[in-house]
Amino acid sequence: METLNSVLLRSRRRWEFPRLQLRKDLVRGSISVLAGLAIWEILTRLLLENELLIPPPSSVARSFWKLTVSGELNKHLGATLLEFAYGFSTACIVGVILGYLMGMYKWFDEIMDPWIATLYSIPIIAIVPLIIIWFGIGMVSKVIVVFKITAVAIILNTAAGIKNLDPVWLELAKSLRLSGWETTYKIRVPGAIPYIITGMRLGVGRALLGVIVAELMAANAGLGYLLRDSSETWDSPKLFVTVLLLAAMGLISFNLIKRFERRIAPWRQSAEWSTE
Amino acid sequence: MVHRVASSESPCFSIDERTGKLFSTLLKAGSLAAGLLIWHFLAVYAINDATLLVSPVVVVQTAYEMLFVNGELYPHLFASSWIFFYGFALAIVVGVPLGFVMALSPLVRDYVNPWMTTLYTTPRIAFAPVLLLWFGIGGGAKVAIVFLGCVFPILINSYFGMRAVNRDYVELARSFRLRPWALFLKILLPASVPFILAGIRLAIGRGLTGVAIAEWFGATEGLGYLVFFAGQTLNVPTLFVGVAAFAVLGILGFELVRRVEAYVTPWRKEPQGG
Repeated sequence: METLNSVLLRSRRRWEFPRLQLRKDLVRGSISVLAGLAIWEILTRLLLENELLIPPPSSVARSFWKLTVSGELNKHLGATLLEFAYGFSTACIVGVILGYLMGMYKWFDEIMDPWIATLYSIPIIAIVPLIIIWFGIGMVSKVIVVFKITAVAIILNTAAGIKNLDPVWLELAKSLRLSGWETTYKIRVPGAIPYIITGMRLGVGRALLGVIVAELMAANAGLGYLLRDSSETWDSPKLFVTVLLLAAMGLISFNLIKRFERRIAPWRQSAEWSTE
Repeated sequence: MVHRVASSESPCFSIDERTGKLFSTLLKAGSLAAGLLIWHFLAVYAINDATLLVSPVVVVQTAYEMLFVNGELYPHLFASSWIFFYGFALAIVVGVPLGFVMALSPLVRDYVNPWMTTLYTTPRIAFAPVLLLWFGIGGGAKVAIVFLGCVFPILINSYFGMRAVNRDYVELARSFRLRPWALFLKILLPASVPFILAGIRLAIGRGLTGVAIAEWFGATEGLGYLVFFAGQTLNVPTLFVGVAAFAVLGILGFELVRRVEAYVTPWRKEPQGG
């Protein structure tokens, strides 16, 4: 616990530092966004008489309001979030356990490796039809899609974290005469946490894509369903509302995890976010 | 990636290196064989329903037929490859310079950043219907979807590559009075090549996913089309062949770029990312 606490303390101190510096980017960023929206609105009003291709922001906002009031948005958003939550939480538990075993026992690693590598290299989209054949068009198939995507990322990273543990910490455990179980949950697992979080971050983006794809293919609720519904009925404002919502979901989850990661593992470089 | 690098570092106790390697290969092969056997028996005896699961033997047979007997796979493979290469090439052509410009000018970076981050974090599938609306169901929309998938890892890695250039090299260039253009060609560009290659490697997987997404919307050929059509007609053997083709392409592309990386940047032992 000692190590984790000191890590948290350190991170808190470092975190406040860049905040003041960010101001200038934020100002420029918001100018850029506002200008973009204004140009979009003006151009669509002036040039297009048909809203089909690009609806102006104002009619997207109106459509958003209508969907919210009718409760339709709530239903779809809720379905997607629930599927995501179920799959993600199961994947965290299973992934950490399997990853731990793979990191600890070489033979288990050898046995799992070819299968994990195969699962990892198949594009998620390609196996969604198979999962739908097996588990139906209901919620279960989406939960499985999220689970598969996230679990692989977490397993790989947890195993790496357990293997790359600083040997000094293990020495410490030995000299403190910790039992095997204590070594696991006081030294090994906390030591692997930064890796585990990285796995979660990698999983989130892909899992979001996976759940939307699965809903697009066959579902009766969820944002993917809304996307399909609005594109098939040529309801462009509604389509744009869905796209913007998905963008917001992606941005929020990405930033939350990044912040969380920086808090828990401040020594990791931010160049990491290049890895999807 | 992380995983493979790590496993080569972990020590092998008491057994000497060669026996250890043999043992590990045996275990891996054994695991694969056992898995395939279980799959076979599950398919043949437990489930026994060709619309749910078929034996790996049937899958291999189908693959053989599609590859060597009737050659059904090739038009799909060909169509997908074209889309992939156009999108990928466009992503490199746009991503690398834009990444460089963003790294060299904070002004451009700050103005472009919010748009880029939003585009990057949105699940790409969301753009597919919109792009389809704009470009129609021809090649344009498909290439655009692949492009959107590939461009960000390349752009971001070019950006970080340029930012991470060792200051000493730049100082050196200054003291030799290199012109800005020469500084760029001789110092900045070579120093960021490893990062760009890492970005390209990451982009391969995302590009393949992009191909699958693109071909799902209104395509008549391509690997993605093959997989979805097979899924809708419950043709499980073909479905497996399509999925396997995607996996093989992904592994091949990844390995290819890794070779190029090892060749172009021999001084780097451990590539970034993964």
